Amino acid sequence: MNSKTPGDTAMSIAGLGPHGERAVPADQIQLTQTDAAQARGRRFSVAVVLHTTTSDWSKQELAGIAAALGLYSAALVEVVDCNFDFELQVAALARLAREKVDAVISIPIGNARVAQAHRALTQSGRRLVLLDNAPTGMLPGTDYASVVSTDNFGLGQSCAAMLSAHIPQGGAAGILGYGIDFFATHEREIAFRKWMGSHRPDVTLVRERFADLDGAGAAALAMVGKTPSLSGIFAVWDVPAMKAVQALAQKNIDIPITTVDLGNEVALDMARHGMIKGVGAQLPYDQGSAAARVTLAALLGLPVPPWVALAGREVTPSDVIEAYQVIWHLPAPRTIIESVRSSFAAQIQDAGE
Amino acid sequence: MAEEKTTLRSVGRPRSVDAAQASLALLLNLVRTGAATTRQELERRSELGRAVVADRLATMIELGLLKEGELGQATGGRAPRQMRFRQDAGSLLVSAIDQSSIALGIADLNGQMLVEHHEAAQLDAGPEAILDRLATIFDWLLQETEKPAPWGIGLALPGPIEKPAADFEIVPVLQTIQSWQGFPFLERLSMRFGVPIFARSGVQTMTMGEAKAGGGRGLSDIIYVKLGRSISAGLISEGQLHRGAQGAAGMIGHSRVGDELLEAVAGAEAIAREGKAAAEDGRSPYLAQTLERQGELSVVDIGHAAQLGDLFCVELLGRCGRLVGEALAPLTNLVNPSLIVVGGVVAESGGDSLLAGIREAVYRQSHPMVSRDLQIMRSQMGASSGLVGAAQVVLEELFAPAMLQGWVGHGSPLHHPEFQKSLERVTAALASKAAQPAGRVAP
Repeated sequence: MNSKTPGDTAMSIAGLGPHGERAVPADQIQLTQTDAAQARGRRFSVAVVLHTTTSDWSKQELAGIAAALGLYSAALVEVVDCNFDFELQVAALARLAREKVDAVISIPIGNARVAQAHRALTQSGRRLVLLDNAPTGMLPGTDYASVVSTDNFGLGQSCAAMLSAHIPQGGAAGILGYGIDFFATHEREIAFRKWMGSHRPDVTLVRERFADLDGAGAAALAMVGKTPSLSGIFAVWDVPAMKAVQALAQKNIDIPITTVDLGNEVALDMARHGMIKGVGAQLPYDQGSAAARVTLAALLGLPVPPWVALAGREVTPSDVIEAYQVIWHLPAPRTIIESVRSSFAAQIQDAGE
Repeated sequence: MAEEKTTLRSVGRPRSVDAAQASLALLLNLVRTGAATTRQELERRSELGRAVVADRLATMIELGLLKEGELGQATGGRAPRQMRFRQDAGSLLVSAIDQSSIALGIADLNGQMLVEHHEAAQLDAGPEAILDRLATIFDWLLQETEKPAPWGIGLALPGPIEKPAADFEIVPVLQTIQSWQGFPFLERLSMRFGVPIFARSGVQTMTMGEAKAGGGRGLSDIIYVKLGRSISAGLISEGQLHRGAQGAAGMIGHSRVGDELLEAVAGAEAIAREGKAAAEDGRSPYLAQTLERQGELSVVDIGHAAQLGDLFCVELLGRCGRLVGEALAPLTNLVNPSLIVVGGVVAESGGDSLLAGIREAVYRQSHPMVSRDLQIMRSQMGASSGLVGAAQVVLEELFAPAMLQGWVGHGSPLHHPEFQKSLERVTAALASKAAQPAGRVAP
């Protein structure tokens, strides 16, 4: 799936939507010149509600949203950082339902506990576009306009395939799973298990969960403690993956890890040929941009598909610089480039010897 | 209150076990459906005495089926304590199996979906592969959600499902999936989780799902039409799902359009075939490009082309809509629904052109009184309706008064004597099948 450019995603989306919908590729969501002119004339106001604004994913997502909204003269009037606290999200949505915004783009933190607050926002007359996740029972059209997501099922499959190369016949692999009821991480884990079950039935799967990020390192150590023969770990996203890397390194344990998203730390670890062996990366900038276009289409009263998805991109240590450029829309940081060069030089030297 | 509980429980002791079961079942269903929740309301609705009601409620609290909730509205004097059904006393596992996808979920005992998952799957992978996938994901859902043990499995299958002759009797064959005939799919799944299993056709569960949580919420007369590779309809009339004599009601895809079956001219495959022909002979430049890029066309591509204004696709979908509408109109005249919900991959992809075609034909051919307030809408629930409906099927079966009386005194349907016997029968039958010499192949 992953050698493709972000614009050519039509055939590579493996997962179905929260209601079994077939995905409409994000690049098919475009505003015509007439729609664009109409949008510019109406000067929409949009707010964004995120689980955090500090992660690399969030920064890119926001950049994509802001740029695309700006292109159509829509103002991004507020960005709410919920700090992973669902009560903060519920309060923020209740407040936005009374304020002068036309639409909200939100990533629901969890499932049932935030469903009602999102429903109420739509009932207040604001358009709601969701990122990654629709709480169970919420319906497109009635409760929200659309869900815009990366193909998380495809990401999980990619991570399984990349980790498989490091697991010997009859070995064990661990899943570092998220203990919160969340559609995107569920999909990644189910897909990882499915791929392993059908391609590597010889591999034993074990799992530990973390409910908050600070617990991810301890969960990784617990998994290695319980299964000393563990040959690899799949972490459901990059931040807990790096917590695991740090905790394991402190105990001098070196174990191959694959994960989702090319955050800066993960990219650097891969460039240095550390524990991270492969990444199934989302394209948060492109996702943000697509979410903004879907939001504008919904505000203009155009029909929008309930499930808009983007394919991910596989990243390995050998193409981390190029992947960084595609995902981040930026040149890779100097430290990453130098690490890749020095490990490449070391490889040549090793080969010469 | 405390005195009432201790003294009256002996006063209300029933003469016969049957009467006790009947009153327990009646009260449980009144509380569960919200028809009556305070002791006073329960006494009035059940026409049982105060002592009997108090005794039965105490029993069901002990069994873990009911709990005392918040204070209700006072009607003079103290505000009454409301009784609540323990929707977390068990869980329900549900799955909807379709030609090209499977959906799975876990629900509470009110039928509220807690988590659901959908993935692509091919029925021709065979029953063993699908069974294994269902069991794997059910295990994962139970572990992930940490919900209590399941009370039942609800299953939606492609094609009609026969009515069983008795409670807990498992329907013998899956008639519509040829390659599955003779494979003990339901038996194996029931045994694997040690719970009763209830199956319906996909279109019937989707109809129930739409009535419970979709466009049909709160309505008593609706028609659901599933437009996919095949075409079928489900009917809820005066609040009840109509299954028909053999359980095969609603196969409207078998109506004739000229010399052809409706589903052979307006089903997903027919639409894709027409699209391919138009791509090849130049009638649709957009489809020609798509075909060249992808090497194949599906109804999704034709829907997308129509949205982008491709005239051929707009007309094709409009015509299919009219054909479906013409098959629906007599049904509409017959049952006078307040809503028609259209779902399935053709409805999801077909957009406004398809819906306009259906509306045009139904409104044109219906009696004015029938069509006066009739709404025709696209499903918002998608494949989730099959899961919600499957959960409803399990609840309706488990809490049907006759069935409920068989287990309410035990606190769980898993302890129903008939279910225990059925499980033993299935176990014995499967064991004897396994013991037979190898080489016996299902037809």
